[in-house]
Amino acid sequence: MLIQVEDLAHVYGSGTPLAHQALRGVSLEVAPGERVGIVGPTGSGKSTLVQHLAGLLKPSSGQVLLDGTAAHARSSAARRRKIAISFQYPEHQIFERTVSREVAFGPRNLGLGKEKIAARVTWALDMVGLDAEEMGERVPFTLSGGEMRRVALAGALAMRPEVLILDEPTAGLDPQGRRELLAQVRRWQEEVGMTLILVSHDLDELSRVVERVVLLNDGRVAADGPARHVLSDGPLLRAAGLDVPQPVALLQMLREAGWDVRVDRLLLQEAVAEIVQAQGVREV
Amino acid sequence: MKPFIEVRGLEHAYPLEGNERVLALRGIDLTIGRGEFVALIGSNGSGKSTLACHFNGLLLPSAGEVRVDGLLTSDPHHLWEVRQRVGMVFQNPDNQLVASTVEEDVAFGPENLMLPPSEIRRRVGEALAVVGLQDYRTHPPQMLSGGQKQLVAIAGVLAARPSCIVFDEPTSMLDPPSRRRILDTVRRLNVHEGITVVLITQSMREAVIADRVLAMDAGRVAMDGPPEGIFEQGERLRAFGLGLPPAVEMARRLRAQGVALPPGLLTVEALAGVLC
Repeated sequence: MLIQVEDLAHVYGSGTPLAHQALRGVSLEVAPGERVGIVGPTGSGKSTLVQHLAGLLKPSSGQVLLDGTAAHARSSAARRRKIAISFQYPEHQIFERTVSREVAFGPRNLGLGKEKIAARVTWALDMVGLDAEEMGERVPFTLSGGEMRRVALAGALAMRPEVLILDEPTAGLDPQGRRELLAQVRRWQEEVGMTLILVSHDLDELSRVVERVVLLNDGRVAADGPARHVLSDGPLLRAAGLDVPQPVALLQMLREAGWDVRVDRLLLQEAVAEIVQAQGVREV
Repeated sequence: MKPFIEVRGLEHAYPLEGNERVLALRGIDLTIGRGEFVALIGSNGSGKSTLACHFNGLLLPSAGEVRVDGLLTSDPHHLWEVRQRVGMVFQNPDNQLVASTVEEDVAFGPENLMLPPSEIRRRVGEALAVVGLQDYRTHPPQMLSGGQKQLVAIAGVLAARPSCIVFDEPTSMLDPPSRRRILDTVRRLNVHEGITVVLITQSMREAVIADRVLAMDAGRVAMDGPPEGIFEQGERLRAFGLGLPPAVEMARRLRAQGVALPPGLLTVEALAGVLC
């Protein structure tokens, strides 16, 4: 197993009056190449969990193993080769003078040679749909919000991590920016085969990328299974304050009205096909 | 409907290095009526936020003019009154909270209006009741959830009794339950309190709750109309970097497959209603 989380608990401010238990006995495993979505309301422990996966926090109890070794105990260089994390609004962390220096920052810290770094920068910019020739010498802060987001993500990709964690990668982008970024994320995963862990509030978007969903509520795993099952389970999601994706919502309403339709159709086109087929049957 | 915000020939130029300027708004003519609920959509960089900042004089026109309730925003004598009439709520609630308890935070606006303490208390109490946070008066805002913080920011704006509130992507950093609560509050302010609302959003699903949708592209208002009409024009919206709400997209695809549906279906509830 690539990632093993065993009975993980995390307490912030332990021993103080403000002590807050963010995770309460979380266990899960992630295999290489999986695409996993992590969902849950604010305060459910999503951010704490992904920071543990990235080895940035030390468990209060339990453990997080990355290829069999405790994630937080690895040297930071060894960890960065394995796993990259892009936090919300990653463009807020851009600090270099040019786009290519920004993307090169990670690989440089891995101690790679000049040519290797340049190749990785070109590759990573290409993966986010930016041309290295054209964009490389631009000042990041003169770019649009969507472009800056992509530069920041290219910085994470340039590390060539085995595991990429994206926390709300499309927040604040316009609809086209979101469509393009999601298509790119799928392409990275197909081409590179990396393990992808995606945190998102937008279950409609998440449905287009992940195959498995872990639902957190109040620091516990409330569900863990195929996206199709978890994201079409209305009562389960509503108990965590979330809503099913819109196609599922439509199918559930039709089912309640007596239609013979499956509700576990997460994508627009799947729901449309289901409705067309059911309507054909109804009219016969 | 009585005009409340009137924009005539508005241009806005941001200075760049040297003598360069970039035109963020390129000639906008627009009237927003008193009590209207307008959604403002547009791709990143289309000028939405720049336009909104003209509605309360945070920015002043490079050319053209903006009137709020008849008052010219570029007249320094009117600026204070303009800002009292139009409140702003921004994306990140953490940047908008200033005090150590919820009630002090909400009192910040009315205190600056030099109102007597009894009036301030009354307004704070009313504003917190409207957003449903009356039980949190003495809480420190930083201990609240993101959605609750955003409600505190809204209460702070409400306590100054504006006629209009501009919400600049108020839900983009919030989770679905908080999102719903903020949108319900926004709608209630418009319907029950008669407040003119301008809601800037990147979510097409959110935009359908408005009475009128303005789509911006490259510094101009490219589309203006009720959501039923705007969201019939999927091709144009895509060309502006926008898209369709999921229910409208499903209706479009169903029609393409030969399912007869009436126009103007904006939500999955409406779509389910006509299918059943």
